[in-house]
Amino acid sequence: MTFLLQTALLARRRILETLRQPIWVFMGMSVPLMYLALFAPLLKPLAGGPGFPGGSVLDVFVPGILALMAFGSGMGAGWIVIGELESGVIERLRVTPASRLALVLGTVLRDVLMFVVPAVLVLVVATPFGFHPHWAGLAILLGLLALLTAACSAGSAALGITLKQIGSLAAVVTGLQLPLTLLAGVLLPLSLGPGWLQGLAHVNPMYYAVEAARDLASGTLASAAVAEGFAVMGAAALLAIWWSTHAYRRAMA
Amino acid sequence: MTGSAAAGTTRRTASGGEAAVRVTGLRKSFPGKGGRVEALRGVDLSVPAGQIYGFLGPNGAGKTTALRILTTLLRADAGEVVVAGLDVGSHPAAVRRRIGYVGQRGGADIEATGRENLVLQGRLYGMGRHETERRADELIERLDLAPFCERIARTYSGGQRRRLEVALGIVHRPDVLFLDEPTLGLDPQNRANLWDQLRRLRDAGTTVLLTTHYLDEADRLSDRVAIIDHGLVVAEGTPEELRGRYPAAVTITPRPGFADLAAVAALLGREPLVREARIDGETIRVDLDSATTGMAAIFALLRARGVEVQGVSLREPSLDDVFLHETGRSLRDAGAPPAMEAIAS
Repeated sequence: MTFLLQTALLARRRILETLRQPIWVFMGMSVPLMYLALFAPLLKPLAGGPGFPGGSVLDVFVPGILALMAFGSGMGAGWIVIGELESGVIERLRVTPASRLALVLGTVLRDVLMFVVPAVLVLVVATPFGFHPHWAGLAILLGLLALLTAACSAGSAALGITLKQIGSLAAVVTGLQLPLTLLAGVLLPLSLGPGWLQGLAHVNPMYYAVEAARDLASGTLASAAVAEGFAVMGAAALLAIWWSTHAYRRAMA
Repeated sequence: MTGSAAAGTTRRTASGGEAAVRVTGLRKSFPGKGGRVEALRGVDLSVPAGQIYGFLGPNGAGKTTALRILTTLLRADAGEVVVAGLDVGSHPAAVRRRIGYVGQRGGADIEATGRENLVLQGRLYGMGRHETERRADELIERLDLAPFCERIARTYSGGQRRRLEVALGIVHRPDVLFLDEPTLGLDPQNRANLWDQLRRLRDAGTTVLLTTHYLDEADRLSDRVAIIDHGLVVAEGTPEELRGRYPAAVTITPRPGFADLAAVAALLGREPLVREARIDGETIRVDLDSATTGMAAIFALLRARGVEVQGVSLREPSLDDVFLHETGRSLRDAGAPPAMEAIAS
């Protein structure tokens, strides 16, 4: 009970913090909308071709964009953590009896919310432009990608505590970002690529999230890809949260 | 004359003599360039309940490391640490409920208002909603936070933020409050204000343990002081006890042309309270065990011998003399230059 209360209190603190900086809310929303407006039209001529079976290209493209948003919403956590190491907030919280897991989850929950709200907006905006929503599948899809956000958020926070410096964190995160997202096929399905590329993608956890997301968005709820997606993302989220909790327990700065 | 009389009258004895903090054989080392660096090399100390206790030492002496172990932030390599009756190594969670901590970096959440900071802190300590609100109101009044407590802490001045941080440290009425360099970067007025607050806490029964590298903070604020250098406690006691181990230095400058310096110095050297009298250029330097009674004896002797005096100066011993004697360095020169924390906005 105490644990749930602490998690709720710490999440509330984070959400207030976000709402007080509307510029970030605005930026968070504008990036996916720009992808839709400025990149999706380039895919139009590919409709019906390989990788874009029937329907609208948006049906393939939107789940990828959602995965990209889920990734981006989580990865900011490390920056905040480093700021809080410097201002002593983390040290102060660590001297309170607050659960270390609650400290991690407070931020994770905010980041999940900061993924879900713009994601719904993207779905609403994309629908009149030819995206075919299967609402049940989309609801499950948001749940799956929330796990991706949670894994990224907890992982980024753990990296922040471990590295302690913005420069090192930025180097690691940008170094991971490109291979993780490219090898997940967020912009174009990897089925378009050669065999070795598809093989390489199988070591990337995010690949399974994107594959599952495309199935779910098309209304296929019970597929092997969906099961794999949940298994991989669930494991990644648990692992990252454990790592981050461990890092909070040991933090030294 | 550094307010020792005032400090003497407010001195309290620990009730029943129990210790709020007891440290035995505390050791801690960190990996460093060219092997491990020993931050604490066997620290023993006992902090009586209900007092203000100061860790005095230069930067890098090990004060902060010791404080971080006492507050559960770091694990000791060896030794026993008991805080509020509980072993820190085996019961860190229980210790956390009984202590408050104000770190060197402060730790106020600058994106939240002062009140939000206080309420969250209280609730994380398991206080109920109404109880926390009442306690926040009480602290806002006591620490004079009212004019700004509804504003985001980012906008606070250094002194305002420090007051909020002290309030955060005591929301849950801890038995022991730890503060790491609490007045670093504060202007004299805010510093005096904070001293008053800490004295009031002490008078209400809280044990206050702080680190400082300011001599006057250790001397005038603390009831007891542990002088720490290179990971060891080199001296411990009340500031008066510690200073009392060293002589007061009197410099007597006779009228120009006074020829008989050597004879007068020899006579002074025979006075009971005088440890040593020697000639230093045109002056006589006298080391006295007690400044007050010793000075009277010196003046009587000088008058009886008809020595016309142009000037007399007295330098009472300070904690720096203790440090100098124990370590061979002056505290003012020891350690790295103070880190200028960006506490003041």
